Amino acid sequence: MNPRLRMAGAWSFALPRLALWAALMTLACVAWSAPALANPVATENVTARLLVERKAVAPGGSVDLALVLDIRRGWHTYWENPGDSGEPPRIDWTLPEGVHAGPLRFPHPELIRVGPLANYGYTGQAVHLIRLELPADWPAGEPVALTADASWLVCEDICIPEGARLALTLPTAEHAGPADLAVADLFETAREGLPRPLRGAARLERVPDSLGLSVPVTALPPGAGSPWFFAAEWGLIDHAAAQDWRLDGADWVATLTPGPMAATASAAGVLAVRAGDGRSAYYLDPVPAPLPATGAVPAESGLGLPLALLFALIGGLTLNLMPCVFPVLAMKVLHLTGHGRAERRERLMQGLAYTGGVLAFFALVAGLLLALRAGGGAVGWGYQLQYPPFVALMAYLFFILGLSLAGAVTLGARLMGLGAAGPSSGAPGAFVTGGLAALVAAPCTAPFMGAALGYGLTLPWYWALAVMLTLGFGLALPFLLLALVPAAARFLPRPGSWMETLKQFLAFPLFATAVWLVWVLAVQVGPDGVAAVLAGAVLLALGLWARERTLGASGWRRMLGTGAAVAALVAGLVLGIRLDEMQEAPAVARAQPADAPVAEPFSGERLADARAARRPVLVNMTAAWCITCLVNERVALSSPRIAGEFSAHELLYLKGDWTNRDPEITAYLERYGRTGVPLYVLYLPGRDPQVLPQILTEGIVLAALDPVAGAD
Amino acid sequence: MKRYARPTALSGALLLAAALAAGTLAAAPQVGQPAPPFSGVDTTGKTWSLAELKGQPVILEWTNHDCPYVRKHYDAGNMQALQKEATGQGYVWLSVISSAPGKQGHVPPAKADELTASRAAAPSAVLIDEAGTIGRAYDARTTPHMYVIDAEGRLRYMGAIDDRPTTDPADVAGAINYVRAAMTELSAGAEVPQAVTRPYGCSVKY
Repeated sequence: MNPRLRMAGAWSFALPRLALWAALMTLACVAWSAPALANPVATENVTARLLVERKAVAPGGSVDLALVLDIRRGWHTYWENPGDSGEPPRIDWTLPEGVHAGPLRFPHPELIRVGPLANYGYTGQAVHLIRLELPADWPAGEPVALTADASWLVCEDICIPEGARLALTLPTAEHAGPADLAVADLFETAREGLPRPLRGAARLERVPDSLGLSVPVTALPPGAGSPWFFAAEWGLIDHAAAQDWRLDGADWVATLTPGPMAATASAAGVLAVRAGDGRSAYYLDPVPAPLPATGAVPAESGLGLPLALLFALIGGLTLNLMPCVFPVLAMKVLHLTGHGRAERRERLMQGLAYTGGVLAFFALVAGLLLALRAGGGAVGWGYQLQYPPFVALMAYLFFILGLSLAGAVTLGARLMGLGAAGPSSGAPGAFVTGGLAALVAAPCTAPFMGAALGYGLTLPWYWALAVMLTLGFGLALPFLLLALVPAAARFLPRPGSWMETLKQFLAFPLFATAVWLVWVLAVQVGPDGVAAVLAGAVLLALGLWARERTLGASGWRRMLGTGAAVAALVAGLVLGIRLDEMQEAPAVARAQPADAPVAEPFSGERLADARAARRPVLVNMTAAWCITCLVNERVALSSPRIAGEFSAHELLYLKGDWTNRDPEITAYLERYGRTGVPLYVLYLPGRDPQVLPQILTEGIVLAALDPVAGAD
Repeated sequence: MKRYARPTALSGALLLAAALAAGTLAAAPQVGQPAPPFSGVDTTGKTWSLAELKGQPVILEWTNHDCPYVRKHYDAGNMQALQKEATGQGYVWLSVISSAPGKQGHVPPAKADELTASRAAAPSAVLIDEAGTIGRAYDARTTPHMYVIDAEGRLRYMGAIDDRPTTDPADVAGAINYVRAAMTELSAGAEVPQAVTRPYGCSVKY
């Protein structure tokens, strides 16, 4: 070594020590008289500072603070999981009433080898950001005085617990002040060091003697290299063991040496990679099982095929009770009543044709879904409702069906297969009705369906088709049974004038469904879209009316009526389809009861930050067109009690709105094996994420929130 | 030269494989399995081996008297109380010092005895493991790092001494002591519910 350097090295040890003593003595004196001046504080191995990013904070606003630890050369402090030994820094605040300090945030660590062991920590400098929130009623201009008792363990070969009482006074003003340029770079760098959400799904396979971790290359920035995985919890991996990262097709993969708790420890962690000039890091929250490869039925993945088929069947059966399907089914049953007593053969034909119609439609939808998926599209059940023109067309359909049932217009029996009792509506009519029942089922998601379809779509195409067809079969089953089982006919009431009354009454659930679809459009494309689709509906009604008036006429009158109907239909369709251009209306905040829990919009970053800060999080993936979602929110997630529990747990409630297309939410759903909403995921610190049932009650949410109390 | 090249490479590979296999075995002591065998010399020159201790339950404590986490438990009298409790129940308590010469915590035998006397500690013996052989066999990572072995020689607990990973002596009072809990369960003939915990402390100075 160059002697001058060695001298410098010796000095760098001796000088700070002397300086530190002097500083400490001074500080000790100052501390007695004015503790507020103690910032920075130098200990034997660390100089600690508390900084604020802006020159003034506004009431009701927030500002980032930084706890900066300048660490003596050769020494290190620790990450949240310190690795084989050590302890992360802590901070205890003394704050004025109403001021709230968030948790310490940890930039991604480095691997620090200590003999045969390894620590996760920081050398040189560690910057921990803290978000400080000021209450709205803070008098602007009055400074905020805060005190932080920070403590940390600092180690070289040996370890010293140290601490400092740091004080800081923040000026406040009506509006937030400008960034303090002297510290701007430090805050910028600190933010870059925080792990970011991974744009994709990492997977962790736990087998007895090794852990296989894989991360899609596309989830990392282009050109990223030298990955290293830092486990968030002790016991998952051997911290010191080598990690043999290699590129395998479209994934970065590594075989990790398991730690003492590999079977049960949380799989979460941080992946640091070299990208460009520096290193960046990403939160990994690997899904436990490997995603099934196409061509093979996975032995153990979530649901399993038999259960998926069962769920599909139950889901299909339940669809019959949904407000969008029930009227159609009811009408079909009335139809059966109409001539049901007559011939068994006729009923049989009806039942089979109806089932055929349902299955044909589901096969069509399945084909479309699978083709879109094969093309790389991110689609799932209900995805069609993300396209405003489709919603508009469905609204028209329900409107026209309603008009028909109410008796305002007469539609061809063969076309609609509803209500008409003549023999002309035989098998082909039943087939069309089946297709129609399946079509009107599209806006509805029944319980059990989501899990079955989500699983089904990860399977090879033939199994996916089987799941879809089972769903359709479930939908068709009640009617099929009525038609096939002679004894069932006895339960059917006798025909009579009540049938007309019921038929007219059933128009109203259909109108209600149309109203709901228009509301979905309001969320998707705003008031202009609503005006367009309502105008379209009026045009359609006008056209149908014209046709109705001229039905009995002949010659040019009749042609005029039909022409008017066709023109109205075309105009309505054009209005509906043009809605697509209005897409991307800003998301509208939907009305909530005043004392419901406050939700923040979902973002992967927000989720990752909160989890890093060990804050519990509930993610609610919803959409305006998802009735189950809306019911769950009303029943289980809106009461003051839930709001109270959320705030008692300091839970962050994130709501993702999938009403319009959103690739981030689609990717999130995929990570949990879903292709549609609703999806509820609860993250408790130190535990694996927990997927809550698709039908929620307050009890389920409360029990999940408090696993310990729930177990008693 | 060339004639020997192949056999040498082959036996080299075999040796490497054997070393790797042994390394794997040594690196992962498992709860419920036979504890890794060891043999070590105490401060009086007496040799202690696990094989000879068969029939007696054993507690291993990795220690380093200068480590703040170790000091927390000795200054509060916590470790000494636990030692007396365990030896009173028939346990053999071995405090192991795996610090390499020149590293923190490394002491000559006389100094180790002096520490035992001055701190009123009550281990059955203090093993000087300056080569780190026992430490590596047990994958000991921190001071303190605790291991409980039953009378049949099976490892029943490994990990932290308690659930408060701090250096603050005030935390001793309310802590759940995992070693005491393991002793209670074992004397009742039951499994240790938390058989593996995260050890906390300073790294072992190999």
